[in-house]
Amino acid sequence: MDVLQLGSYTFSSRLILGTGKFSNSKVMLDAVRASGAQLVTVALRRFNREQLEDDLFGPLSAMEGITLMPNTSGASTAAEAVRAAHIARELSGSPFIKVEIHPNPQHLMPDPIETYEASRILAKEGFLVMPYIAADPVLAKRLEEVGCVSVMPLGSAIGSGQGLATSEMLSIIIRESGIPVIVDAGLRSPSEAAHAMEMGCEAVLVNSAIAVAGDPQEMAEAFAEAVAAGRKAFRAGLMQKSGSAVATSPLTSFLGTL
Amino acid sequence: MRAVPEWLADDRGTAALGAMLSPTSSHSLEALAAESRAMTLRRFGRTMTLYAPLYLSNYCSSGCAYCGFASDRKTPRHRLEADEIRRELAAMKKLGISDILLLTGERTAAADFDYLQRGVAIAAEEMQRVSVEAFPMSVSEYKALADCGCTGITIYQETYNQERYEALHRWGPKKDFIDRLETPARALDGGIKTVGLGVLLGLSDPVEDALNLYRHVRHLGRTWWRAGMSVSFPRMRPQTGGYEPTFPVDNQLLARFIVAFRIALPDTELVLSTRESATFRDGMAGLGITRMSVESKTTVGGYSENKEGDECEEKERGQFEISDDRTTKEFCAALRRQNIEPIFKNWEPAYNGPSGTINPERKAKADTLPNKS
Amino acid sequence: MVNRVCGDVSRLAPAEYNKRNNEKMAQIITIELNGEQQPLPPDSSVSDLLSILGSDGKSVAVLVNDRIIRPENRFSHPIQEGDRVELLIFAGGG
Repeated sequence: MDVLQLGSYTFSSRLILGTGKFSNSKVMLDAVRASGAQLVTVALRRFNREQLEDDLFGPLSAMEGITLMPNTSGASTAAEAVRAAHIARELSGSPFIKVEIHPNPQHLMPDPIETYEASRILAKEGFLVMPYIAADPVLAKRLEEVGCVSVMPLGSAIGSGQGLATSEMLSIIIRESGIPVIVDAGLRSPSEAAHAMEMGCEAVLVNSAIAVAGDPQEMAEAFAEAVAAGRKAFRAGLMQKSGSAVATSPLTSFLGTL
Repeated sequence: MRAVPEWLADDRGTAALGAMLSPTSSHSLEALAAESRAMTLRRFGRTMTLYAPLYLSNYCSSGCAYCGFASDRKTPRHRLEADEIRRELAAMKKLGISDILLLTGERTAAADFDYLQRGVAIAAEEMQRVSVEAFPMSVSEYKALADCGCTGITIYQETYNQERYEALHRWGPKKDFIDRLETPARALDGGIKTVGLGVLLGLSDPVEDALNLYRHVRHLGRTWWRAGMSVSFPRMRPQTGGYEPTFPVDNQLLARFIVAFRIALPDTELVLSTRESATFRDGMAGLGITRMSVESKTTVGGYSENKEGDECEEKERGQFEISDDRTTKEFCAALRRQNIEPIFKNWEPAYNGPSGTINPERKAKADTLPNKS
Repeated sequence: MVNRVCGDVSRLAPAEYNKRNNEKMAQIITIELNGEQQPLPPDSSVSDLLSILGSDGKSVAVLVNDRIIRPENRFSHPIQEGDRVELLIFAGGG
């Protein structure tokens, strides 16, 4: 059985869903259901007595087979992220935490230094840490060393829909990693998700592409199928590309003289 | 008996390499060579790092069926003392060498760890970079070696086929296949910065061995990701032991191995020694190889010995026969004709940390090895 | 709770208001709730605050002065004048 292994947890679905940016929670819940996702991210927000319908904990925990992965968005330092993780665990009862620290609210690029520090502390405390990072192969190894259960490099900027702009770096991370690599952020189309899986990513995290699609539920299904197909292709082993152009003056003719 | 490690069954990336290595591959050697050359140029530029081996001792307790130094060979045995090592180093420096590989046989009472450590300390006083190809050690021994200025070790698995391995290593500590497999990891745990791996082509099915060698490199690279790594392609040549390779590898296949490894491991140093002919080495220099030995002597004391008279009654044989016997000067000229720059110094000992600078303990080690005269 | 009551004590139904604050009107305390001023009857516990806000507390994390108050301690944990209280829920996020 081909499963996604994160710490001691296993998941048959390799599509992780973000729950932001949906028009309302019913649309979101329908999309989660259609995606078959078993791991779903949520964010901490202040309670607002005027908007009780914002609360996703109730409806998500009522769905069967869903594990919550709270994120630390809003944190701009390691200390804030650690605090957010503690609160989130209190609420979710889930050991998963997506460490997401972006000090700049414009581009939302993750801070590597604060992310490393928060991940180190949280992994030591027993969290199953999934850090959201730039596609940096060295940072990915450093995070593996401090006990993260996965690394989640970005395909491109959050919400940008630029796809796998970092594919060159992603392929290094995948090649070198001893823990699952999950592409998070930037995916726009199911074909990009399939490509990420063919490259050897263990899962993808999708939010905007589904939330703002014309029909989120339909798009969630499309992503689920693409992720499954990409994974299958990776396991089956892609055909090798054939050799490229042959030099006009043969490079190996010297062998004939030996 | 310990289990074979899991990484030997890790198939990530092996399909692509396997497709290039197979003698019946649909990839033409010429096409692979073109890609390999382009990758080598991009990553390493037009350079070739040069080193030379220095045999400290040919005492050996191992029974490797294919080796001229195996303990049942009737070659005269001796080891270099401090003054002899210094004489060899001086002769090598005259050639321009500053990157050396110190060699011994398997651990013996005559040439044990303490002897090797002292040899390293002496060499580190003279050379920019000192690596060791000797016997498997413990983590603490590797640490002590690193403290004395050793930055790299070479340890070939010879073959990854356990059955062949056990048959070929007839006795001695080297018989332990798993221990040998785990040696590079111990070296890296001990603070050695680079490890050199390889299989001795000719001992077993070469494609199977190459794939396992690739797995080994990838495993070490994932786990000890700061480590430098190199892969060598030693090929069985006629040995003094009279061992004929069971799985001979011809020039075409060896060239294929080298270019395929470059494509599969774009950042790994690929090494070719003077076992190979001048023509073959010159041909591979631009195609994937980035590190070569030069003007090598595989006898103990070979660099400084009197070239005219041979004082030994029975002529001493080297570990293997040298095929490319050009001088350093000739070899560098050949590289330059190909527009490749020979690099003699690619490492600054100051990077070795505190031990790379003045270290009284290391000095003491170097000074405790006796002189011959 | 039959009537949904608002947090603003001044807007409580008169009966409820009197029942809770009969002799203590003058002692109404002010806390900081999610960054805003919030009046509260004295001797309120965390649970009291939650029911005033209309929450069953199941999907709310409570912090008083940066300390997490676990559900089993909410009945007994008193809220005092000037306390900083944060109530957090899970909302949509990626």
